[in-house]
Amino acid sequence: MMVDFVLNGRAVSCDAPANILLLDLLRSELGVLSVKRGCEQGECGACTVLLGGRPVNSCMILAARVEGRSVTTIEGLRDEPIMVALRKAFMEGGAVQCGFCTPGMLISAYALLRDNPSPTPHEAKTAIEGNICRCTGYALPLEAILKAAEMTPAE
Amino acid sequence: MRYDRILEELLNRDDFLVVGRSVVRTDALDKVLGRAKFTADYVPRDTAVVKVVRSPHPHALIEGINIEPALELPGVQTVLIAADVPGENQIGYALPDQPFLNDVKTRFVGDPVALVVAADKGSAVEGADAVRVKYSPLPSVLDTTDALRDGAPLVHEGGNVALTTKIRKGSIEEGFSEAEVVIEDLYDTPYQDHMYMEPEAAYAIPEGSGKVTVIGGMQSPFLVREKVAHILGWDLNQVRIIQALTGGAFGGKDDMGPLVCAKAALAAVKTGKPASLIFDREESVAYSNKRFPARIKYKSGADKEGRITAIDVDITLECGAFANRAPFWLWRQTAHAAGPYEVHNASVDGRAVYTNKVFGGSFRGFGDVALHFAAESQVDRLAGELGMDPVELRLRNILKPGSRTTCDQLLDHSVGIEECLTKVAEASRWSSQKRKRNGSRVTGFGVGCAYHGISTSRSTPDWSAASLILNQDGSMTYRTGICELGQGAPIGHAKIVAEIIGAPMESIRIEVPDTDSTPNAKPTHGSRGLMLGGTAAADAAIKLRERMVRVAADMLGCPEGEVDLRDGKASKKGEPGETIRFPELAEELYNRGVSPASYGFYASPKRYFDPETGLGVNYSVYTFAASVVEVEVDTETGVCEVVKVWPAMDVGKAIDPLVIEGQIHGAVSQGIGFTIMEHLKLKDGVVLTPGFKDYVVPSALDTPEYAPTIIVEEPYQHSAFGAKGVGEPAIISVVPAITNAIYDAVGVRLNMLPATAEMLHAAMRRGAR
Ligand code: FES
Ligand code: FES
Repeated sequence: MMVDFVLNGRAVSCDAPANILLLDLLRSELGVLSVKRGCEQGECGACTVLLGGRPVNSCMILAARVEGRSVTTIEGLRDEPIMVALRKAFMEGGAVQCGFCTPGMLISAYALLRDNPSPTPHEAKTAIEGNICRCTGYALPLEAILKAAEMTPAE
Repeated sequence: MRYDRILEELLNRDDFLVVGRSVVRTDALDKVLGRAKFTADYVPRDTAVVKVVRSPHPHALIEGINIEPALELPGVQTVLIAADVPGENQIGYALPDQPFLNDVKTRFVGDPVALVVAADKGSAVEGADAVRVKYSPLPSVLDTTDALRDGAPLVHEGGNVALTTKIRKGSIEEGFSEAEVVIEDLYDTPYQDHMYMEPEAAYAIPEGSGKVTVIGGMQSPFLVREKVAHILGWDLNQVRIIQALTGGAFGGKDDMGPLVCAKAALAAVKTGKPASLIFDREESVAYSNKRFPARIKYKSGADKEGRITAIDVDITLECGAFANRAPFWLWRQTAHAAGPYEVHNASVDGRAVYTNKVFGGSFRGFGDVALHFAAESQVDRLAGELGMDPVELRLRNILKPGSRTTCDQLLDHSVGIEECLTKVAEASRWSSQKRKRNGSRVTGFGVGCAYHGISTSRSTPDWSAASLILNQDGSMTYRTGICELGQGAPIGHAKIVAEIIGAPMESIRIEVPDTDSTPNAKPTHGSRGLMLGGTAAADAAIKLRERMVRVAADMLGCPEGEVDLRDGKASKKGEPGETIRFPELAEELYNRGVSPASYGFYASPKRYFDPETGLGVNYSVYTFAASVVEVEVDTETGVCEVVKVWPAMDVGKAIDPLVIEGQIHGAVSQGIGFTIMEHLKLKDGVVLTPGFKDYVVPSALDTPEYAPTIIVEEPYQHSAFGAKGVGEPAIISVVPAITNAIYDAVGVRLNMLPATAEMLHAAMRRGAR
């Protein structure tokens, strides 16, 4: 099965087994390893990517469904000012422990700040509600998200 | 001791370079860029996949295993059974009660029988389904009460009691006769799943003949090496274990690391090709180790002044199918039975009991969570009966320097619990906080204290090693067998090295633990990673520092005592003008034939206990914690929310305050989950909740407000800078703080956790105020 889509801004064309999950398409076929498999049940958020700009669990999406669409992983957001601010805030704010949940959580946080540059603490909680983190207890990541919002230059 | 003197000097420094300051973790950048590599990220695409064939019965004899139908499937490469194990088919941790692959009988739903090795995951799953195992089911025991009955089916031949423990101190008869009030009750704590975000994983690569490399998630590469070698029947040096960055562990991967790595290794060695074994989330929740459930009968009395006069404690620990860490877990509970209080009369009996359920194992807090849940509930109730403030009653009994623990161990220093409790009560304005009602919602406050002995239980000798190399360009290579699990202990070691040598943090590279080159630091458990491992790091750094100082003194033409090392430079104290940069100094060491490599080793002071009375020196030092918690309970629904937490901990010396805060928040979050949310449901030994959907752990929405962490520093004499481990105590103190707060709010005590909304609602209907 051929899938043509846009990955991190670049057109890719990939010959993949039928019924493959987007998560596996990214990890096994395309070598995008920042996307993590935490459950494959659509419940942990470690596999979060942006599909057409919206955060989704890539383990719940068949690769065929991304045909013609745009998929963004953390690699594709490297130079985005919001992501730069998030990275800095996460690193300096002690928001990273084991790091397994981190890429997924950063994607959700990015989508939040892109749409809502000054979220309330509750909005921040809601935005990463689907990203389970068993290490940090969320308080420092939430603080980091709010800090990143302050740091991000207004457009 | 020269070594202690140097530590003492270091501790009395008045200007620390990096110790005590929060620095950006050296692994953070890769993690936020998505470049950090976990085990699954090392596995090439076409690697063979291992799938475990597991028993569907809680207890059954194996009549026969037919692997032929599986071997006929196109993708299946081989199927391995007990007869294929070249070494000893036994992987029990403390007792030899856990066959690696079962061929006689299976003891829980999920007990491994065979390994299918296939070209891909789909074929491996099909292959596992095709293996025909003929079972003859046996009657099973599914709780400890049944297991202890006369004539109960035996999980293991020797009987259902795996081991017992006891303490006899003073006279409880006398103690209870002095008591004004006596409370007795039963406390039940359940399984808890670790739910680390990264499931168990191993990737094994055969290296020619007679050597195998395994990359995996684990907490002790050297334990993994030992177990893998044992299964293969090989020497230790034929097995190379590399710990990949591990996506959370919390104790779980201390047990699961060896089990998973040995399976992948056997598959790789038998097929001669690389093989990977990565658990699904379902497998992880249904079949991996859990927090051991416990039932604790706790009787305690206090006199009019609120002094605890005696405790009589009876602990029944549920092992599940194998003892695993139970001897250590149960002993820890036994040894900590009084909680962080001085009690002169104590009787404690413990027994670890087999059942036909998933096996228990290591988990943050290691036995002390259940024990303190009981002990701290009791303390609150004694205060209630006496009409005394619960903080006040605690303070009247609290351990101080000069006090003796439950095991009669004299604590001569590093005892900061009184300060933790006083400060946390102050910060939370404890004495003026009042239960409040707002419609159906009631707010209440609770307090919990904890102590947790550092390092392995049962007085196991403890030591740790590390190595440090000064490279010719002045950069440093640091190696420790202490694992990075997210908790940051190895980075703490690097800070200790940086502090002692005066090297910039970024010049120190922490290598991944690799048993072919890393010194054995023993396991990353028991809150020992920073304390034991970090002290070995300090030893390595001190030795190297002395040589660097000697050469620098010669180059600078000044006495050694006047050399200052900082910012990657050597200079004369008070004369920062003339400096020698580390690359230059390093080159000089090499040229003069002064060794640039240093091996650090540290052994804990000796510990011992009397098996008859349980008395002795059980842990070299204890970390202490206190928490105050505010909860809000909805009396109509039973939903309880932890609103705010005030944490305090005596950490000895804070190596990194932000890391400590992260450890406390993470532990509190797991404590909240354990107390009011996480519910592993089983029926007939089958786990019914094998995923995040049914086994609900805290999400961001369940995050309480945190008051700033109160850090108390009562340094420990025998560790680097006086630091003690910080990963565990917060969960221990917060669990009873939550249930005590629930009691304050709605007047019911849930002695059986988890206190889910359903249970709380039912309990309130039975008798709330
Ligand atoms: S792996 Fe996709 S939600 Fe957990
Ligand atoms: S940092 Fe480990 S799961 Fe979030």
